[in-house]
Amino acid sequence: MDLFIQTLINGLLLGGIYISVGIGFALVFGVLEVIDFAVGEYVMVGAFAGSVLAAGLGIDALFVVPLVFVAFYAIGFFVQPFLHHVTTSNVPMPILMALVFTFGVAFFARGGILTTFGPNTREVPTSIATGGVTVSAIGTFPVARVLTGIFGIVAVAAFLYYLYNTKGGLAIRAIAEDRTDARLMGINIARYQSVAYGMYAGLTATAGVFIGIIFAADPGMGMQYTAFAFFMVVLAGMGYLPGIIVSGLVLGVAQAMFSTYVSGAWVFFVLFALVYVVLLVSPQGILGRGEPVS
Amino acid sequence: MTLQTNADAETQPVLVAEDIVTGYDGHEVLHGVSIQSHPGVTCIFGPNGSGKSTLLKSLNGVVPVWSGSIQYGDTEVTDLSPDEMVGSGIATLPQGGGVFGTMTVAENLSLGAFTVDDPTVVEERKAEVLEAFPALEDKLDAKAKSLSGGQQMMVSLGRAMMTGADTYLMDEPSAGLAPTLVDDAFDLLETLVDRGARIILIEQNVVAALRLADYIYILAEGDLQFEGTPSELGQQEDLMELYLGIE
Repeated sequence: MDLFIQTLINGLLLGGIYISVGIGFALVFGVLEVIDFAVGEYVMVGAFAGSVLAAGLGIDALFVVPLVFVAFYAIGFFVQPFLHHVTTSNVPMPILMALVFTFGVAFFARGGILTTFGPNTREVPTSIATGGVTVSAIGTFPVARVLTGIFGIVAVAAFLYYLYNTKGGLAIRAIAEDRTDARLMGINIARYQSVAYGMYAGLTATAGVFIGIIFAADPGMGMQYTAFAFFMVVLAGMGYLPGIIVSGLVLGVAQAMFSTYVSGAWVFFVLFALVYVVLLVSPQGILGRGEPVS
Repeated sequence: MTLQTNADAETQPVLVAEDIVTGYDGHEVLHGVSIQSHPGVTCIFGPNGSGKSTLLKSLNGVVPVWSGSIQYGDTEVTDLSPDEMVGSGIATLPQGGGVFGTMTVAENLSLGAFTVDDPTVVEERKAEVLEAFPALEDKLDAKAKSLSGGQQMMVSLGRAMMTGADTYLMDEPSAGLAPTLVDDAFDLLETLVDRGARIILIEQNVVAALRLADYIYILAEGDLQFEGTPSELGQQEDLMELYLGIE
């Protein structure tokens, strides 16, 4: 029983950080109509940025998190106009072109990191997020995972606060609902798409720092998180942001449970079997609140 | 720019489009059309494919103008983007009203005031909207899609009023409304006219729209076929029958 509860809590903590990866990905899908294949690579490059900055500045990786957010917000802001160009230029199937473009970004990121740092993993140095916290009667949890889970929840809360309580958030939600009508409200679409993409890139990269603290930075880690992001969006229901909170937690717990009780090797098989079943049974996501998958 | 009383109607800035040529993907739809906003409601009629929707979209900046010019009062607005148009005082009501269904009525109204930075102005306008459409008062926190068609129309009009515009471009506001509600919807437009606004209206429902038209343009195949007052149009029975299907 203790092992079960411990596994459950570990899974929820992991789920917290997955939410912060999935929610930006889902937002970009809604606001830019872009399926960003590079999502996992933002996690990976974020982990490397955390590692390099913390080592270079000689400070704890936790303290470079704001720096990583700002840097990747700027990168996202810079990348978005290219995406905008690809999706609005006169090509057939702009969604497909955007997917190809983000594919390119993903390979560029991965290749760039491999060339610069080689194939080996790098530690993301921290002295604060080490050791464990013991909760009596349940067990000991690594501090790194506890802080990661808490960060995920706080970051997502801040993100949702921005979306639902500020003028910029209002603009972004209007664009997600109807781009043309949003323009007629006086909203500068390109600008707020850049803001949304910047927030997504910043959020995903900072999640990468925390994931790097737990598992180390690895040039090949990105693909896994891209797959996770797809999993969360389908499970949540396309276009239904709050659903990501549920699907992120489901993902974290499922991963923890299968790693503990079955085998880590089965995790991907089980996740995608689950996606398949959800698409068959409830195409609008497990909560039935998304847009139907056409 | 605040909402003005009827007495100011004659002094509102006039939207003047001259010799507009435009289209899509190299295919010319409008071949040099000149119109302007008249006091009250200016209606643009014409059969399907006549280019009236394209004309409206060139006026609000959604479709770029190939040649010709658009002036608003003393301001040149030919090449402004749709979001800049709103800031200049020209609001568009999208086809069928275009409310944001997943958002609350209050959020829809806030979106109307997106280009307004002064919170006191926003509050004043909101009060004016609720005075004009008291039915919305209880619905502020309701999702717009939960409202009836007529109430959604009020949200759409109220949202447009929040921009503080003096001129409203409307693309078939009655589209999607139950036929019994169309007359009520047009009565709501009178609310804006009473406040001194000028309206340019595109409408398939000619009979209902004629009731409030103060000036009429008829467009067919990308050229103007007629312009004048409703009584002048009434004398042109052939035109009425040919382009509007009214015998």
